[in-house]
Amino acid sequence: MTLLVEGISTGYGETQVLYDVSLRTEDRSLTVMVGPNGAGKSTTLRTITGLQRVWRGRVGFDGNDITSLPAFARVELGMASAPEGRRLFPLLTTEGNLRLGAYCRRARDSAEDSLSQVYSLFPKLKERRSIKAGRLSGGEQQMAAIGRALMSKPTLLILDEPSLGIAPILIKEIFETVKELEKGGLSILMVEQNAYQALKYADYAYILQMGRVLRSGTPSELKNVEELRKAYFSIV
Amino acid sequence: MVALAVILSDLLFGMMLGCVFAVVAHGLNLIWGVVKVVNIAHGEFIMLGAYGAYFLNVFGGFNPLLSAVVDGALGIFVGYAFYFSFLHRELRGKERITLRSEMVTLVSTFGLSLFMSNLAVVAFTGDFVGINWSPGTVALGFLELPLGALYVTILAVLIISTSVVFLDRTYIGNAIKAYSQDITATQLVGANPTKVASLATALGFSITMAGGALLTVWIPTGINPYMGALYAPISFVIVVLGGPGKMLGSLLGGLTLGVVIDVLQAFVPVSLAYAVAFLLLIPVLLFRPEGIVK
Repeated sequence: MTLLVEGISTGYGETQVLYDVSLRTEDRSLTVMVGPNGAGKSTTLRTITGLQRVWRGRVGFDGNDITSLPAFARVELGMASAPEGRRLFPLLTTEGNLRLGAYCRRARDSAEDSLSQVYSLFPKLKERRSIKAGRLSGGEQQMAAIGRALMSKPTLLILDEPSLGIAPILIKEIFETVKELEKGGLSILMVEQNAYQALKYADYAYILQMGRVLRSGTPSELKNVEELRKAYFSIV
Repeated sequence: MVALAVILSDLLFGMMLGCVFAVVAHGLNLIWGVVKVVNIAHGEFIMLGAYGAYFLNVFGGFNPLLSAVVDGALGIFVGYAFYFSFLHRELRGKERITLRSEMVTLVSTFGLSLFMSNLAVVAFTGDFVGINWSPGTVALGFLELPLGALYVTILAVLIISTSVVFLDRTYIGNAIKAYSQDITATQLVGANPTKVASLATALGFSITMAGGALLTVWIPTGINPYMGALYAPISFVIVVLGGPGKMLGSLLGGLTLGVVIDVLQAFVPVSLAYAVAFLLLIPVLLFRPEGIVK
């Protein structure tokens, strides 16, 4: 077990967004969180990465209580994320972005090795290494964001909507790379709007709706389309 | 032929002066470009650096080059103090620096500026003072080049290039650049935003105060509590010329301004030369708001 989220509630200002959300990830597995727009998927990820404070509840990681640990310190513990909108540094080169991924002490010494691993995973990035990240295509930016996260040698990789704004042909490629990373031993938590496709690759999934976990289970348990459809269309 | 010699020497002196201007502007650029603070009190910290050099000379016999090093070290402390007393409350926990934050720090540094220059009048009197330092001259063709100015130029270029290499080649330097582009993402790669922003501020002040010491060589009898009123606008013009946040832009902007001022001085009164130089700001802001460097 790597990540254990227990009953978190949070929100922005007066507005509560999450109600008692619990989830967990296992080693060497791909956990997917699906749900309609505004379900609280990104907010859940923000509490996990430490950008959003919880009102109630607890976040545990590798046996540590990290509920009040700042975001930057969580990276040192082995958590890395490719956030919503990729958030690359637009004026740094592709390689500059990747190298910054190895910022934490744990990862610096092996930065060169990590870099060549990322390049063999995404050969396109090697071609584009000296291009400013702001000029990369959507797909390349997503690869760079995942690559940057991998540079910190995480045990838990968090991906927020990796398929957003990407050519359909690349989406499959990215999902397959994610699956490959999982086989390499990573624990992955992925948020996707693209639910049907994401569930094809997932080991375990959570369906979020209106800030609550509606259901969770293995993809075959959730194959019950009615349940998923409900999550997507029963928004009042 | 004589006219050509005059122009050439003005050009050379302008470039040398421009390098020193570039240092003080570089300090401003770091703070403006990274933590988005338009430091209105910038000129007062230049003044502080200049007085630092003056007192180090009077009481310790230091020449301005040595004083620049001491000022630079002091500036680190001043910068951290500035960050944690002025900026930290405003920037802490922010995922992006809002216009509101920029206005808050702009207005509060305006207050700081008035406070510092008035305090300086009380502490140092309003008299103009200067540092006597003349390490001789070197003949360069038809030119007699003062060695002091030459050393200052070398140190100025060294300061700027060292800081550029630091920002380019070290993890923490890269994190400073990253912070200026995306604070959230900087945290997500594992960098402590407070550590990064405070270091950038400390570096900015260090360079600004070292620059203040270097300036004393060009204004032998011009150190006074209100000198900031001239050098702050010069720094702002240079940063805008070079493009805020572009570190090598400071050097190019400084050279441009130094040359413009020095060459103009050959034809028009000094104050008019400065006026014209400041006028440069308007077309640059209108036509190249991102600075003359691409």
